[in-house]
Amino acid sequence: MSIDESDRRSDVVVCNNVWKIFGARASEAMEAVKKDNLSKAEVLERFEYVVGVRDVSINVGEGEVFCIMGLSGSGKSTLVRHINRLIEPTHGEILINGTNVGGLGAEDLREMRANQIGMVFQNMALLPHRTVRDNIAFSLELRNVDAFTRSEIADKMIGLVSLQGYGDRLPADLSGGMQQRVGLARAMAADPDILLMDEPFSALDPLIRRGLQDEFLDLSKTMKKTTLFITHDLDEAIRMGSRIAIMKDGEIVQIGTPEKIVTEPADDYVADFVAGISKLKLIFAHTVMQPVEQYEKEVKKLPALDKCPQATPDDDLDTLVGVSVGQDNPIVIMSDSKPVGIVTKDALLRGIQGEV
Amino acid sequence: MSQDDLKLFKEFAGQNGDYYADKFLQIQKSILPRTHINYAALLGSFVWAGLRGNWLLFTIGFVIDLVAMVNLALFFKYAEKASEYIGQDDKIYLLDRYDGWSSNHLLMAVLTFVLGRILFAWFADRFYANQYARWRTDEKTPSSFVLSRLVIVAVVSALILPLTIYRSTQFVPEQRACIKQDRLIESGEQVPFKDRFNCAVMGEFPTLIWIDRPDTINYRKDDSGQYVEIRTPAREGAPPFNLNKYMSQTIDDGIQYATIFYGSIFDQITAFLNSMLNAIEAVFVGTPWPVTMLVLVFIAYKMAGRRTAIFAAASLFYLAIFDFWQTAMDTMSLVVASTIICTIVGLPLGIWVGKSDRGNSITTPILDVMQTIPSFVYLLPAIAFFSIGKPPAILATVIFAMPPMVRLTALGIKHVPENTKEAALAFGANPRQLLTKVELPLALPSIMAGMNQVVMMSLAMVVIAAFIGAGGMGFIVVEALNNAETGRGLLAGFGIALLAMMIDSVVQKANKIRD
Ligand SMILES: Nc1ncnc2c1ncn2[C@@H]1O[C@H](COP(=O)(O)OP(=O)(O)O)[C@@H](O)[C@H]1O
Ligand SMILES: [Mg+2]
Repeated sequence: MSIDESDRRSDVVVCNNVWKIFGARASEAMEAVKKDNLSKAEVLERFEYVVGVRDVSINVGEGEVFCIMGLSGSGKSTLVRHINRLIEPTHGEILINGTNVGGLGAEDLREMRANQIGMVFQNMALLPHRTVRDNIAFSLELRNVDAFTRSEIADKMIGLVSLQGYGDRLPADLSGGMQQRVGLARAMAADPDILLMDEPFSALDPLIRRGLQDEFLDLSKTMKKTTLFITHDLDEAIRMGSRIAIMKDGEIVQIGTPEKIVTEPADDYVADFVAGISKLKLIFAHTVMQPVEQYEKEVKKLPALDKCPQATPDDDLDTLVGVSVGQDNPIVIMSDSKPVGIVTKDALLRGIQGEV
Repeated sequence: MSQDDLKLFKEFAGQNGDYYADKFLQIQKSILPRTHINYAALLGSFVWAGLRGNWLLFTIGFVIDLVAMVNLALFFKYAEKASEYIGQDDKIYLLDRYDGWSSNHLLMAVLTFVLGRILFAWFADRFYANQYARWRTDEKTPSSFVLSRLVIVAVVSALILPLTIYRSTQFVPEQRACIKQDRLIESGEQVPFKDRFNCAVMGEFPTLIWIDRPDTINYRKDDSGQYVEIRTPAREGAPPFNLNKYMSQTIDDGIQYATIFYGSIFDQITAFLNSMLNAIEAVFVGTPWPVTMLVLVFIAYKMAGRRTAIFAAASLFYLAIFDFWQTAMDTMSLVVASTIICTIVGLPLGIWVGKSDRGNSITTPILDVMQTIPSFVYLLPAIAFFSIGKPPAILATVIFAMPPMVRLTALGIKHVPENTKEAALAFGANPRQLLTKVELPLALPSIMAGMNQVVMMSLAMVVIAAFIGAGGMGFIVVEALNNAETGRGLLAGFGIALLAMMIDSVVQKANKIRD
């Protein structure tokens, strides 16, 4: 992935070569790890230290939903906790809107956490002794916003996450899905630029998870918040993310769009993840089509255009299957009313298998 | 049962492997006859267990045989004593007594030996099978039959058996006789070895450390009003102190020094406690009884509901009708004063202990000690520094009742989930906000449980503190004890119990309702 300087300037969150090793003499261990290129298991054996994050560099653009995906223990939570400095890096820097988070004083850091970054947790982490409304207004209360404004904003948030009528209830009265909406509302109450979501939906039932994913996607389209979304579920990452970073043992093994990840897995680890994923909505006509000339040379002359099913380069395989059903002729991909490529039935089937 | 298992059985047992393999198999199949006993164990007892490396059975067998032998020795000792009185008609009652004791011990000796051995032999194979099971999971468990273990058996027996049996054949020397003996030895006289040995080994642990008597220290005001120290050396030839006496004297001197030169500090503390207590007593004692009673019942109703309020009303009525009203309110004032101080001091301390590892490691041993010391011991330093009256009573009560406040506050703070705290930090909480808005509210149930314990322990201690002039209900009991007024004492005791149950049920119900 190449990003030029002008792009980089609009990045909201930037991590440069972030390392985190848990242990008393982490820096020493890190040098040794760099020099001998030790694996996570070797570090654990030799130093009894845990490598949490290993040389991670990412940049997340404004309004982007950036997914971080990996198995449990791969360092996802540790990585995002660097962004609001709940964890100090062993090495590397984190920039938020160009400000180096590591250089902030205690008060500035709290200011930034309260105003610029909202966080949602897998286990909700709501305060059990406070009502839903007071939970949502928690970050405002910490900034000494007056009670009236607080409850006004909280009520607006309650509406936003469709919890009307639950403002005076305690979290324990709510179902898991509803609790996580409270968590989401709390994170957004201070109107932060950035949302950190650490497996927000992982603890929920599949059906409720689906609903919340859709709701969040709608919200994020209107609110345009830069989001780092952690999940251990590739399906969810693909649904939510404009880009996905895949982590393993603290390292990022691949960053790319969902389509890129699915069609060009960087290694066996990613390929294993991708193997069970339905490609219907991830692969598009421009990836599976072949040029018209090549088709005419290798197969036969193209029939008259109006006898063929037609589609555009940005249609996904699902759409292609739809137009192709009951047709003998191959699909003609049209761009600006000109044929730019051909998708045969074979190519379509191969595409569904993920082989392009 | 596979061949491998049988081989393991044999490998474990070593000597006589076939026998044990057979018995273990029967035990695993639950077909060992109920009456099965191990004859080797019956004969060999603890020696058998030692050779087999089963130190639990070794101890059991050893104790059985030791008890039997001690009883046998006692039989001989008293039989000999009895024979001294044969033919002395005026001492016939002594003859009867020693005769009776000796035949009792003989019976005990025989019974212990026979029954104990049989029991031992019955348990032997069953315990041995347990040892086998442990050996399967932990190869370091002793196994097989090892002759060198005889050395351990011999050493243990040599250390314990002769001295114990010798001790039971001898009459324990009086402490006075031993002190006299010490003097004789010092003055160079010959004392038979047997007597010296008896004094050194039986009875009291011998005094190893003798320390010269320290000077007696007193203080007197000189003409300018300053205190001067007057040291009086010990009388020539006075016997030296042992460690106990010496340390007691040193502590007393220290306390005397502190009360004379830092007396103003203690006076200020006393004054502060007195004024606090006065304010509280003004509420409980100074208010006319109908008002106090109604307010107390109303508080009970508000905090704990109707049933508790009825119980409180009945208890208060009992106290009033038996003329305990003023005294009970005195006691209540002391309890409230102690509880307030315990909370003011214990809560911050508990927070510190809950949040800092160092606080935890410093306070835990101190709290452990505070909780194990018998309550009335706290009265001593209180009297030493503050003389008698209500202020020292409050202080002793505070020290006695504070540990649960610290402990349970710390426990509550420690149990606040990490991720809840993390969430608060992620939204920009500063340390003070974290404490007041997250940690304390979540720790509140635990803190309230601590308060409840503080109140109950305060009440218990305030009653005991009547010994040093705390007054209140406890005083009536103390008085009744001194004058053998059983009835009055019981009535007051029942009143104290009602007071305790009343407070306890109000506080507990209040906690439950709030949850
Ligand atoms: N405070 C800590 N001390 C030591 N090791 C930690 C700590 N926090 C996380 N780890 C370790 O760092 C690794 C990454 O953990 P985490 O970021 O929680 O993974 P994920 O969120 O991907 O499941 C794990 O091996 C974990 O055991
Ligand atoms: Mg995690």
